[in-house]
Amino acid sequence: MAARLRWLNLSGALTMITVVGAWQLAVDTGLVDLDYLPAPSEVAQAGASGLSSGELGSAAAHTLAVSLVAWLIALVVGVAAGVLIALWRPARVTLTASVEILRTLPVVAFVPIAVLIVGLSTTMEIAVAAWAAMWPILVNTRGGVDAVPARLHEVAAVFRMTALRRVRVVVLPAAAPLVLVGARLGLSFALIVTVVAEMIGNPAGLGYQIVRLQQALRPDEMFAAVVVIGLLGIGLNAALLALTTRVAPDMFEPGRRA
Amino acid sequence: MSTVAHAQPAAEGAGPPQPPTEEQALGYACRGVTVSMPGPRGKRAILSALDFEVEPGEIVMVVGRSGTGKTTLLRVLGGLVPASAGTVLLGGQVVSGPPASAVTVFQDYAHALLPWRSVRRNVALGLEGRRDCSRVERDQRVARALEVVGLAARADDRPWRLSGGMQQRVQIARALALQPRVLLMDEPFGALDAMTKASLQDQLLEVHGRTATTIVFVTHDIDEAVYLGDRVVVIDGQPGSITQEIPVDLPRPRDQLATKERPEFLELRRRVYDAVGGVHGG
Repeated sequence: MAARLRWLNLSGALTMITVVGAWQLAVDTGLVDLDYLPAPSEVAQAGASGLSSGELGSAAAHTLAVSLVAWLIALVVGVAAGVLIALWRPARVTLTASVEILRTLPVVAFVPIAVLIVGLSTTMEIAVAAWAAMWPILVNTRGGVDAVPARLHEVAAVFRMTALRRVRVVVLPAAAPLVLVGARLGLSFALIVTVVAEMIGNPAGLGYQIVRLQQALRPDEMFAAVVVIGLLGIGLNAALLALTTRVAPDMFEPGRRA
Repeated sequence: MSTVAHAQPAAEGAGPPQPPTEEQALGYACRGVTVSMPGPRGKRAILSALDFEVEPGEIVMVVGRSGTGKTTLLRVLGGLVPASAGTVLLGGQVVSGPPASAVTVFQDYAHALLPWRSVRRNVALGLEGRRDCSRVERDQRVARALEVVGLAARADDRPWRLSGGMQQRVQIARALALQPRVLLMDEPFGALDAMTKASLQDQLLEVHGRTATTIVFVTHDIDEAVYLGDRVVVIDGQPGSITQEIPVDLPRPRDQLATKERPEFLELRRRVYDAVGGVHGG
């Protein structure tokens, strides 16, 4: 599925064009007459001027950078913890209950706490986003490692692999498809929570732009910021898929278990 | 025999004969080996007080009905399961964990191979990360092992693109690449069709003839046990214990047709059959 992104999904594109067209028509004809609902054309105009002034671009760059840093931290911690919990009994016994409780807490509730502790800063954004992104990575890595056939562990034992080699050469590649699922979920979470942290915490990035523009009664620019967030999400996901299929194509071949 | 010739064009013709294994073959000595494992109703004994030896270079076939602990015995020899009581010595050393000189070949090749690696890199698996094996030597040993099992042409395929018999040959090549002094084989040909099975049996005998590796081979196929073995060990009962040891003095090299037509073969076959089937056998 990932190997060839189909750039032209005709029926899917048609749906979107229809919806946007209907929206444009509804506003133009006065069918829908709301004070603060801009037409798609106005949103596009606002987006273009926001980009040319550099305001939208620098906000997007901030949000993107924070999301990526948070996701990388989450990836390292989440994969390491997931492997450890799956393979090392003491870790499993002591940590499983805590993981199950912590991962279900709504992360947004942590933002005010993080603001209190770390202050209104980029560090706070990263901390909260990394926290949110870590759980799907950890849980999926653990699930993937749990599902590694016992036989493969025995093969590693027969070849007298050290624990580290076993993880690197056998366990992680075998668990890779689920680790990737976790990484993709984590990437979405990182972006979402970064924006939330910017809306209710650190005054920077796209999240803050949206709040600021709302208070300035500028719905067209607000929508433009929302569209940019959407594009970031799609772009990040596509980039991650492209990267994994390029770096390790056989790791994710769908038919590999055949 | 034709399969051997097919698998071995280089070694038979151009290449120099393979040097004999630099180290001596190793034998097993098992004393009072007992294995029990936790079951639904407390500990369950699987093997009880096994005493037996495997001579260096010998091919010992382990047969028995299912559930008598054949596979467990092999896992104990391979250091994958500790004996609950008794000792297992390999070349005079106590086995505690997989020994460096022994390699286990599993029945379920599909789960024993790494599907994300090419055939070549699967065969290299056991040699990677070893200080005593340079990259050049590793490549040579891998290429040689693939040649022995006749898979040199498929080296860059993924294992799951290969047939079952070929996948099992990949696993055997992976074991051979280590030049093990002991091969432990757990029903390696059990899931294969008769033709593939016969050709792999002959390849195994051919490899054994050249390297004198010690082989312990678990099977439920009585013909296979008599055809390959120097000795057939029969395990029976629950917990399993050795009920008979039947020496097989058929001449080598063995031949799928000629050997199996010999009256001694038929007689041995009947003896093993009785020993496996008879409740009070031995």
